[in-house]
Amino acid sequence: MKKKIVAIVAAMTMTFTLAACGSSSTAPNASSAAPSEAPEAASEEAASTEAAAETTAETEETASTAAASAELLPGGGSKIIYCITPSTSNVYFKTVQDISTSKGEELGYEVKCFSHDDDAAKQSDLFDQAIADKAAFIVCDNAGADASVEAVQRARDAGIPTFLVDREINKDGVAAAQLVADNAQGAADVAEAFCESMEYTGKYAELLGLESDTNCQVRSDNFHSVIDQYTDMEMVAQQSANWDQTEAYEKTETILQSNPEITGIICGNDTMACGAAAAVKDAGRDDIKIIGVDGSDDAGALIKSGQMVGTALQQIAMITQTAVEEGDAYLNGTAPESEKQLIPCVVITADNVDKLSGFVYSE
Amino acid sequence: MKSKDNSKLMMTLMKGRTFIVLVVLLIFFSIANNKFLQVTTLTMLAKHVALYGILAIGMTFVIITGGIDLSVGSVVGLAGMIAGGMIQEGVTLQFAGVTLYFSVPMIVIFSIILGGLVGLVNGFIITKLGVAPFITTLGTMYICRGFANLRSGGATFSSIAGEEGLGNTGFKSIGGSIGIIPVGAVIFLILAVIGAVLLKKTAFGWHVLAVGGNERSARLSGIKADKVKIIVYIISGVMAAIVGLINTAQLAAAHPASGDSWEMNAIAAAVLGGTSMAGGSGTIVGTIVGAFVIGVINDGMTMCGVSEFWQKVIRGFVIIAAVVIDQMQRNMEAKMALQSRNENK
Repeated sequence: MKKKIVAIVAAMTMTFTLAACGSSSTAPNASSAAPSEAPEAASEEAASTEAAAETTAETEETASTAAASAELLPGGGSKIIYCITPSTSNVYFKTVQDISTSKGEELGYEVKCFSHDDDAAKQSDLFDQAIADKAAFIVCDNAGADASVEAVQRARDAGIPTFLVDREINKDGVAAAQLVADNAQGAADVAEAFCESMEYTGKYAELLGLESDTNCQVRSDNFHSVIDQYTDMEMVAQQSANWDQTEAYEKTETILQSNPEITGIICGNDTMACGAAAAVKDAGRDDIKIIGVDGSDDAGALIKSGQMVGTALQQIAMITQTAVEEGDAYLNGTAPESEKQLIPCVVITADNVDKLSGFVYSE
Repeated sequence: MKSKDNSKLMMTLMKGRTFIVLVVLLIFFSIANNKFLQVTTLTMLAKHVALYGILAIGMTFVIITGGIDLSVGSVVGLAGMIAGGMIQEGVTLQFAGVTLYFSVPMIVIFSIILGGLVGLVNGFIITKLGVAPFITTLGTMYICRGFANLRSGGATFSSIAGEEGLGNTGFKSIGGSIGIIPVGAVIFLILAVIGAVLLKKTAFGWHVLAVGGNERSARLSGIKADKVKIIVYIISGVMAAIVGLINTAQLAAAHPASGDSWEMNAIAAAVLGGTSMAGGSGTIVGTIVGAFVIGVINDGMTMCGVSEFWQKVIRGFVIIAAVVIDQMQRNMEAKMALQSRNENK
């Protein structure tokens, strides 16, 4: 064990010395032994040099605690956090990257952010890149519950802990922690607000997300677990709008043609809810209650103006922040209490919408 | 003699096949859902069809020259983001430290010019640098989508109503309606007429068909093939930008992922309308009928509550069936031409 610690420290020091010279960083103890380019090494030269001494000291500490508790992974060796998320064309995932960056930098890390665009193969490549880059730990919003297990396992084998946020994977004991929003509770709670606004009676339509997505099913099931209790409420149309705004707009218009009697629309996410709200407004209807899930600022604005009833805020900012903090604590020898952590959703309605901003709910 | 009359009738039926399919679909959905054949449903249908119908007009020109334009979906997103950004945030000149706000007509013109520029770049790379259209437009597809996301860092521009004080109100009217007729449908109609006249009645239209039919002989007969090709990509880019503006105005929000994979709908509409992927033949009227077939399938099945998965399956079958019939028609035409030549002997 002692030899290993020495090797890690030696590797660390050499890595940083090399990085400071702007050349590619190779680690002598890497099992893969593949020479890897540190993509941003050059631009980080100065910072790295300064941090080198400090980092080495810290690594020593980390390594010794790792020795104390054999279960904890040592981390890749560098002070780099890899943040891997779906495409940032959704503000929700952009928040994951932004919060990781700010919190990570606050804790003295360098943070590199990437998008896997929901492509498991691309995600796998990014994990390889993180391993080659000796990432301290990985924060990941993964690209598929089954397809991601292998990549996370590979990082684990390389000694790098992965902290999954937002979405789970279908295997325990691979990731260091899985922090997810309680979609079931959030959907059920916002459905309750929906029923109340509908006065527990009337016909409604549902816009589903991508039907192959787990979240789509979970949310829909929990909407119905609440709404179906009220026998006077009847769903007359159910269509998929693939999480997409334009599609939701067109589907809503079409449903309003075939079922003009509806007085409510439940949507699997806020993007679709915004599309539905635009269509309802264009149709000159103001009697239709709309709910979504996510808690985006766009939905917040619609709730303020009365075009939407409510949404379930997944506290993604808080989730990400917790993940980064737990990652830092983990490397300092404290593992999270449990691997799976459910963070409750907050129902946002006209009453508390003022407290919502950038996926943060401030009491 | 009788058999000749029969085959003539057959030919007429085949030429109007897409239209017949459209009528059959309309009848079918009217029976399946009694709310389908209403004025409001039909205007809504026109509004939905307008979005990819306009793309399909540009796409028809491109496909006739033997090319393809995969970048249009991304240009829809980019044009929307540029217009949305100019309204919500204005243009900040950092060196002067001022933020300029433009009037809606200016923003519309700017977005359309931008779409045209993307087309110009496509056309230039394809003709002057000799890169295959599929590759070139695949590249610009990624580039435009990237810029659309970069414009806002992935966020949506959701306050595009404009402000009275800044003099940039009125953008939403592009997505509104005149009486009961949606503005989008009106623009679609106008562009369709312009497109049809341009293709059938002008020298440029004949040049497009000639370049697509046989580029070498077109060049030899003095047609500037490169210029013609560049212009068709510009037309396609401009159409995409117009769709981006309409879509943004309808949603009252500019979303960077808008228009994702719409190029496929546009290609499908053109092919359904009888445009040959090999180039050289196609009509705007056909394309518009094709666009309506797709629109009727989409909206009709949604109104009947058919799942999205089946909608995709059926759309696929219709496209393949259309091309199979198209092939049969070509074979039959060739056979008839041969027959009449033999009779004349």
